[in-house]
Amino acid sequence: MGEVMTAQGRALPAEDTADLREIGFRSLDFSELALRVEDELGDELNFDAPGLRRIATVGDVLDFIEQLQSA
Amino acid sequence: MSEAPSVVPPASVVLVSGGSRGLGLAIVTDLLAAGIKVAAFARTVTPELTALGEKYPNHLHYGSVDVNDSAAGQAFVKAVESRLGPIDALVNNAAIGQDSLHVHTSADHLAEIIQTNLTSPLILTRFVLRRMLAKGLKGRIVNITSICAQRGYPGLVAYSATKGGMDAATRSLARELGGRILANAVAPGFFASEMSAVLGQTQLDQIVRRTPTGHLTEPEDVLPVVRMLLLENTNLNGQVLVVDGAASI
Repeated sequence: MGEVMTAQGRALPAEDTADLREIGFRSLDFSELALRVEDELGDELNFDAPGLRRIATVGDVLDFIEQLQSA
Repeated sequence: MSEAPSVVPPASVVLVSGGSRGLGLAIVTDLLAAGIKVAAFARTVTPELTALGEKYPNHLHYGSVDVNDSAAGQAFVKAVESRLGPIDALVNNAAIGQDSLHVHTSADHLAEIIQTNLTSPLILTRFVLRRMLAKGLKGRIVNITSICAQRGYPGLVAYSATKGGMDAATRSLARELGGRILANAVAPGFFASEMSAVLGQTQLDQIVRRTPTGHLTEPEDVLPVVRMLLLENTNLNGQVLVVDGAASI
């Protein structure tokens, strides 16, 4: 997540509770993150949009990626 | 030599795909109440469709058929013809939805959406048309599409493509069938039930505020339009009628 934000000239906040809207992390940024993880795993992480809509904080992003990897 | 203008008579036996719930079930119910013979199939027969079968034993033929199983669909059509008489109208309603960004939708799921929402309805339409034409019938086709065919919405890329494909097919069918069979499409806006499943109350309220008529689309809004296309003499042909309260304009 830090890499995605750094590539856009922004920094990842230290707190898991940081609000994604406040730090400007949008759904397409989440897609970029998921695709980078896919590249590392060598496997696709497909998912529906409702799960994405529930993501509100940095912690939610990390939890969701973790869930996708373990699914 | 010019031919005398011909009128396509009101539908008498209507086949509705995906007729076991939601808008499909509402269309079946509405047509039966209007005295029309109806055949309906869906992957799963619901208690609501079964109840209609008990209420209208001589007017409704129904069964469990997956629209992607063309052999089963064709056998169902022949069974309908034996029981209710020749089919002279088809409502292509069966479809599956989508709620996933394109880059995160698997290739298999994309293929499934296209198969169910575009390829299978075209195959069913082809078969029903062949039966109609071989019997010398005039008839009507109504394709249930979506506002997604005309406006962009995230999470609905493949779904929108299939609905746009059906809108385009509707126009070409109207041309190809030379007025002997009227082909039209009805494109509802988002149904309140669909929207409430994925959006919060605040977002729903915002959408309603932006809709000039002040409410989201309900199946009851669509029924008179479908009924008109099946039963009335309007000279409408090759058209896509949007039912969304002007939310999209």
